[in-house]
Amino acid sequence: MEKDGLELEITELRLGLPGRDLTEKIMKKRGFMEMIMTSSGSNSEQCESGTVSSGVDVEKVNDMPAGKTQVVGWPPVCSYRRKNSCKEVSTTKVGLGYVKVSMDGIPYLRKMDLGSSQGYDDLAFALDKLFHGIGVALKDGDNCEYVTIYEDKDGDWMLAGDVPWVMFIESCKRLRIMKRSDATGFGLQPRGVDE
Amino acid sequence: MNYFPDEVVEHVFDFVTSHKDRNSISLVCKSWFKIERYSRQNVFIGNCYSINPERLLRRFPCFKSLTLKGKPHFADFNLVPHGWGGFVQPWIEALARSRVGLEELRLKRMVVTDESLELLSRSFVNFKSLVLVSCEGFSTDGLASIASNCRHLRDLDLQENEIDDHRGQWLSCFPEAYTSLVTLNFACLEGETNLVALERLVARSPNLRSLKLNRAVPLDALARLMACAPQIVDLGVGSYEDEQDSESCLKLQAAIRKCTSLRSLSGFLEAAPHCLSAFHPVCHNLTYLNLSYAAEINGSHLIRLIEHCKKLQRLWILDSIGDKGLEVVASTCKELQELRVFPTDLQGGGNTAVTEDGLVAISAGCPKLHSILYFCQQMTNAALITVAKNCPNFIRFRLCILEPHKPDHVTSQPLDEGFGAIVQACKNLKRLSVSGLLTDQVFLYIGMFATQLEMLSIAFAGDTDKGMLYVLNGCKKMRKLEIRDSPFGDTALLADVNKYVTMRSLWMSSCEVTLGGCKRLAQKAPWLNVEIINENDNNRMEENGYEGRQKVDKMYLYRTVVGTRVDAPPFVWIL
Repeated sequence: MEKDGLELEITELRLGLPGRDLTEKIMKKRGFMEMIMTSSGSNSEQCESGTVSSGVDVEKVNDMPAGKTQVVGWPPVCSYRRKNSCKEVSTTKVGLGYVKVSMDGIPYLRKMDLGSSQGYDDLAFALDKLFHGIGVALKDGDNCEYVTIYEDKDGDWMLAGDVPWVMFIESCKRLRIMKRSDATGFGLQPRGVDE
Repeated sequence: MNYFPDEVVEHVFDFVTSHKDRNSISLVCKSWFKIERYSRQNVFIGNCYSINPERLLRRFPCFKSLTLKGKPHFADFNLVPHGWGGFVQPWIEALARSRVGLEELRLKRMVVTDESLELLSRSFVNFKSLVLVSCEGFSTDGLASIASNCRHLRDLDLQENEIDDHRGQWLSCFPEAYTSLVTLNFACLEGETNLVALERLVARSPNLRSLKLNRAVPLDALARLMACAPQIVDLGVGSYEDEQDSESCLKLQAAIRKCTSLRSLSGFLEAAPHCLSAFHPVCHNLTYLNLSYAAEINGSHLIRLIEHCKKLQRLWILDSIGDKGLEVVASTCKELQELRVFPTDLQGGGNTAVTEDGLVAISAGCPKLHSILYFCQQMTNAALITVAKNCPNFIRFRLCILEPHKPDHVTSQPLDEGFGAIVQACKNLKRLSVSGLLTDQVFLYIGMFATQLEMLSIAFAGDTDKGMLYVLNGCKKMRKLEIRDSPFGDTALLADVNKYVTMRSLWMSSCEVTLGGCKRLAQKAPWLNVEIINENDNNRMEENGYEGRQKVDKMYLYRTVVGTRVDAPPFVWIL
């Protein structure tokens, strides 16, 4: 079979099963790992070390930086389903930080992108828009009927506004807007009481 | 056959409804060709660029229903850049100018604008049915036009579209006198819904059979809707907050009990588990259950529901059901024909909710199973061989092992033998998706045994061009072949150019095909559009006079009778 100018560079990674005859034609496989290392310009691609199936000899695996692999279009789940899958909430990357927001008394959940807000004031404004001007409070001391709490990485519910913004968006998994009167245990002063 | 008057022949043709059959009878003789083309009611165009509206109208002047598909299948997985094509506007414009009495339009993976919808709504007096699947480019304003202007609308079915929700009053645009609604599916709308308008619409639609709601329809509204539409057959439920008062639940239960015609249940985006139990009374009649968006409901609640669903024929579920849950399905749902198990964790976090055991259980318990889509973490050849023995009737078999290149987790061998067993046993297999560690051997099996195969999806598989050649040479009925990240190159691509006469399309991305190879193919096969999609380069490939050896990132080729399309964006280069 003519190769016809297919001067393929020998791939750095040669994936082969143990015991395979490697004197066969050079495998031009663009392995999963190589693809991650050489592809560029696609969204959200970070390299991962160690997703190598057992029984396969692979070189140069350890050169990969740690992080979650996001291969474009894999797994093959359609984008509509991806958007609606709540497990798509990523807390490792700003900009992909969609969190669910629930509000007491409202029967449906909303989702918002934390990465699109610059700070707590921005967040308050965005939440306000989401729930149409309820006047959401974010800091203790504001005279408002509602407070915002969030569930952090450890599963604990904390009052929003106490920690620095960057720390907040990294650990926030979901938001809940609840009535100030129901929010016991967060160390809030009752409404209207001076400190 | 010429001793029958044309009307008689035409009447006989009325009983022939499938597109394939009608295409066949039109080839018998000139007389039949003529009769058939004037009497064709439903036209199906699997690739909107294979033909143009003018030629369509010339061939079939009297059709009433049109189905059009645009983007290639891999567009679902974000592999086709935005703006690639698939615009419906020129079609609607051409049809509007003609005298076609369009009644039904079904679009899949196309770009639809508000302008298109407005034009559609104004141009066809008897327009009855609009079905949009995985489309984009329009907003609720377009829906408002349809609602306002289509006096005889029966179906408005929006499935998994990207719709810009302007939170307008599109539901209120249905005129008060309008009562002919049969299908209303707006589950994919993100925004709020005018509940009053919705309830009034449902109340005045005695023929309503299918109602699929979006997230924003709360529990008490659902109860009221079901109370005024007890004739409902197909229901898509919205979403609920966790805390619901028991009075709302009771009202819902009472309403559900009256819906004795209910056969199909879906939705449950972010639903609370205890609401699921409200549906237990109707479960014994259900034939279709789609809980694949109900990520909030854990396995045990799902199982409790499914235990009641003895007549289920189609089940779409998340892998949170687990192998144990699938065993319950296997022992309960003896009528099951189609199963889809979707992944909950899309980032491959090592959650082993379903394994090969679940698949084997289903294959053993459900003798009527013919279609499966199964996402899992691991698989073995032994399991697949058992599945093949249990279920030789598969028509569609799609297995997705989440980690690319993953071998048999017990033997560390490739999964060639497992898939080989499937294709050998399942003589009617029309659609196949393979995954896991696979060598050229699996393609040898596919080429040898999968004689009826029409669609094949390959990802991260194979070793050499031989693999692809086995498939191209062996699968005589292949229509759609889509390949990503596999080491197939020009040799395979160019081996048998005439193969691309009988195939609708071929997609190859991140493979080994080169620009030179694609150019040569385009030369040899003038009936093809060979598209090179290079979103990062914007045709720099051509300008810089790249050597033919440059690998092509994405190639999509398809047969066409109308040559190069004129609406290709700059990043698409048609050779």
